[in-house]
Amino acid sequence: MATDTEVLVLGGGSTGCGIARDLAMRGLEVTLVERGNLTHGTTGRMHGLLHSGGRYAVSDQASARECIQEVDVLQDIAGHCIEMTGGLFVQRPEDSDEYFQKKLTGCRECDIPARVLSGAEARRIEPYLAKDVKRAIQVPDGAVDPFRLCVANAHDAERHGARIETHAEVVDLLREGDDIYGVTVRHDSGPGKRTHKTPGTTEDITADYVVNATGAWAGQIGAMADLEVAVRPSKGVMTIMNVRQVDTVINRCRPKGDADIIVPHETTAILGTTDEEVEDPDDYPEEQWEVDLMIATLAELVPILKEARTIRSFWGVRPLYEPPGTGTEDPTDITRDFFLLDHAERDGVGGMTSIVGGKLTTSRLMAEKISDHICDKLGHSASCDTADVPLPGSENLEALEDAMDEFGLRSPVARRSTQRLGSRSREVLQTTDPNPVICNCESVTRAEVQDAIAQSGSDLNAVRIRTRASMGNCQGGFCCQLLANELHPEYDEETARAAYDELFQERWKGERHALWGEQLSQAMLKYALHATTYNADGDPARTGTDVNFEAFDGGQTDTEAGPSGVVATDGGPRNRGGDQ
Amino acid sequence: MSDAAQPTDEHVPTDDDFEPIEVFPESTEMDLRPGADNCYKCSTCDTNCPVAEVDDEFPGPKFQGPEQWRLKRQDDHDIDDSVMKCSNCMRCDHACPSEVPLSQMHNTARGEYVEKQMSKRSLEYWRNRLLSNYRTMAHLGSKVPRLTNFMMGLGVTRVFNEKVLKITSEREFPAFATETFREWWDARGGYATSRERARAAREARGEKTTAETDKRIAYFHGCYSNYNTPEVGKALVRVYEHFGYEVMVPDQRCSGTPMYANGMLGDAERAAKTNVPELAAAIEEGADVIASCTSCSMSLRQEYPELFDIDGVHEVSNNTWEGLEYLRVHEDLKGELEGTTTDLPNLAYHAPCHARNQGLDGQAIEVLSAIDGVEAHDVGDSCSGISGTYGWKAENYDTSMKIGEEMFEHMEAADATHGLTECPTCSMQMEHGTGYDILHPLEILADALLDGGETQSSSGTGPA
Repeated sequence: MATDTEVLVLGGGSTGCGIARDLAMRGLEVTLVERGNLTHGTTGRMHGLLHSGGRYAVSDQASARECIQEVDVLQDIAGHCIEMTGGLFVQRPEDSDEYFQKKLTGCRECDIPARVLSGAEARRIEPYLAKDVKRAIQVPDGAVDPFRLCVANAHDAERHGARIETHAEVVDLLREGDDIYGVTVRHDSGPGKRTHKTPGTTEDITADYVVNATGAWAGQIGAMADLEVAVRPSKGVMTIMNVRQVDTVINRCRPKGDADIIVPHETTAILGTTDEEVEDPDDYPEEQWEVDLMIATLAELVPILKEARTIRSFWGVRPLYEPPGTGTEDPTDITRDFFLLDHAERDGVGGMTSIVGGKLTTSRLMAEKISDHICDKLGHSASCDTADVPLPGSENLEALEDAMDEFGLRSPVARRSTQRLGSRSREVLQTTDPNPVICNCESVTRAEVQDAIAQSGSDLNAVRIRTRASMGNCQGGFCCQLLANELHPEYDEETARAAYDELFQERWKGERHALWGEQLSQAMLKYALHATTYNADGDPARTGTDVNFEAFDGGQTDTEAGPSGVVATDGGPRNRGGDQ
Repeated sequence: MSDAAQPTDEHVPTDDDFEPIEVFPESTEMDLRPGADNCYKCSTCDTNCPVAEVDDEFPGPKFQGPEQWRLKRQDDHDIDDSVMKCSNCMRCDHACPSEVPLSQMHNTARGEYVEKQMSKRSLEYWRNRLLSNYRTMAHLGSKVPRLTNFMMGLGVTRVFNEKVLKITSEREFPAFATETFREWWDARGGYATSRERARAAREARGEKTTAETDKRIAYFHGCYSNYNTPEVGKALVRVYEHFGYEVMVPDQRCSGTPMYANGMLGDAERAAKTNVPELAAAIEEGADVIASCTSCSMSLRQEYPELFDIDGVHEVSNNTWEGLEYLRVHEDLKGELEGTTTDLPNLAYHAPCHARNQGLDGQAIEVLSAIDGVEAHDVGDSCSGISGTYGWKAENYDTSMKIGEEMFEHMEAADATHGLTECPTCSMQMEHGTGYDILHPLEILADALLDGGETQSSSGTGPA
């Protein structure tokens, strides 16, 4: 079975989804394939820092300028995906004055608004900063939800006619002579919205042009057509705190180093990160000492972190790339700029371009440049509108505050829900049906869960990235089964079980790196609930064994129930019976 | 940057003495989000909440506390109005296996809600303010107690309260005593008289009679024993003097409990600014602080240091005791009570929630059972339902009575002549729900320990 499209985008991360939206808006017929969920690769495994550019103001001023411009653009088009928290570059007494000055000068050269604060002023903004911080530079950093941004891009691409296929892994590049003309994908559960347990199929998709936007996996895709793409995947660890210890992005003001960012992200704070080159982006060690080291280092800036509860840790892989012959030894020195590798020019093989490098903050601009290139290749002329047209969810956000009362939700629930849904709030939340909260940690209601299911099928991880359900402190302990229950009756019991298992496994992947203190108690409670109370380990419906109902007795009868009378909820009165 | 702009505070706190509230005393806003770290959502608090049990609309302490705090952001201050349905019984504090500062979160959230979201021109605000500042009302009312009692009993007053103020007309206002505790105390000769009596008692007991005794207490009588049940205060004074304690009665205002429950943290802090220095000065003179009301002792011990940064607040917290508790620890109460009798042997005891939180729920029965012939029945673990001002509000009356039902039933079933509790508002509820006369354990103690003498001359409804 073969289908044809004008442009085929490989990879459902921020780059791929951005390109798909841009090209679809320009009127091209686009298909995007992604082997997992949207954001499954690097996009879903980052700290969500929206860079003002301050971070690059010394080392890479071109990137810094792009960042501050894109921050402006994103505020206009993606307001519901970002939170303008502001950021601080904090100097400790042992950090260099010279670098502080360079950072400040660099920000000003790149038109990044920057203000110097005394230690006391910085602590007034962030009371949990260490008492001995020396000073800080205040910049307009922010937080971005990469899931929401990516999903909104994909959603808008679909609205413009694109076909988005998740759980569709590229198994081969179709190459004839010096021309790449498509791919073979393997659908995990048939094309379209995911439904667990549907048999997989393969499909050839042919295209006028193929864009390899698979980031750290670009080398693996290239190899399918004997092309060498020398990506240098570099892993970094991030740790999620249970609460926001800070409400502003905190950066350490020193030249470079691991563990120097704290990003307030939704209900949590994310600590980042490290930088270490790995061989295989799918298989690398995740080690506890990386987490410990990061917490210890960042506690120099915010001491409370040492005692605070972490809810999980995760690793992401940067798609670093440098042109052949640069020979940089240390991955932290490799540029964060992106590269467009036109294989026709580079390798004499037409029909495909690979994109490597880049960063989330400037992903829209990157998509614009790549789309220009592709339109050029295809001789298609259309202008780019992505900087002006808001993403779905970000239209008329001003009107939202007034609408919150209409949804009949408790105020923190209404507030969180509308922050996630943006201008889609009314369409999603206004319902006459009962709308209970399904995930209490993150305040996600049934209506929002159902909306996500309608978008993504039986995949609860896709529901998770759309709603944040199961991303709070109990890590799904109290809501995994409720989310699975929401799949019924549209999906059958077996499908719901498979979806529940998959979500549970995914949560465990990150939780296992936080098993001490309160999160250990949390994990034990989760185990007790799911393995014991729900019998998830030995459920006959799962194991296929028959239940011997004969082994159970008939239960207590009225005559055996002992002395009649009302049993009090406190376990019975202590005053009756005379024995004091 | 000039050096002048640098922080002058050279002190670097070690991680060991970290306390979320004290780490940045310059900040006026409390940030309790880190307190949410302790919650692993087991929901034990919700299953112990007496309001959630009878009111399906109430989301429960887990939501009010750690969940709501965790969802907050810096510029994102709205508090759900359901926090006003919390009765402040604080059973959640007692229930939590993981030391989540639940009542502190509730008090702080409620304070924020009242300050930022409740209209200062609303009747609800002024009604709550009136109720929580009971002392002001009582102070005026008790100047002309008979007139006030007459007025409060009038049908027209109760209709006004119900219709305009939304104070339930189902309940009868507690009568003001014709002589307040403090009036009695002053007429009796104050500390000088108490010192004499205590010294005589010590002599009779064969103890030190010098002036340098450590047997000295500062009595925090609170509002209710002053204006409404001076017999409780008198009993405390006499019992303590019997054991040789010199009693001081420092100047004092409300302990703050009704104010926290109504989110009036400003009023509570103003009162605390009188109480803390007065009590701290007494502690300086060698006294321990004793309260006869378990909510008062709770407030001085727990809420004061949680909510207010006042000099001496920790000294007061660390040296405050409940009346019976102190004697149990410092005297041989059981030995002393052996062979004594009382005219009031059959009692139905309810442990107030705030006594439970201080670990005091079992002591009254244990102590009083040492008196010959006393049958004190514990009427169970349930909450009485009134929780101070909560059950006085018309909108809460039904919920309050529903919560109390279990206690009423157990009291009816108990073979008793009187009810017994330490808490003034629990006693109102017990009386309202069952018709029993309600006594304070100290009154029974005084009856058993003291024969004749001053006890006989006590006025009013005491156990004489």
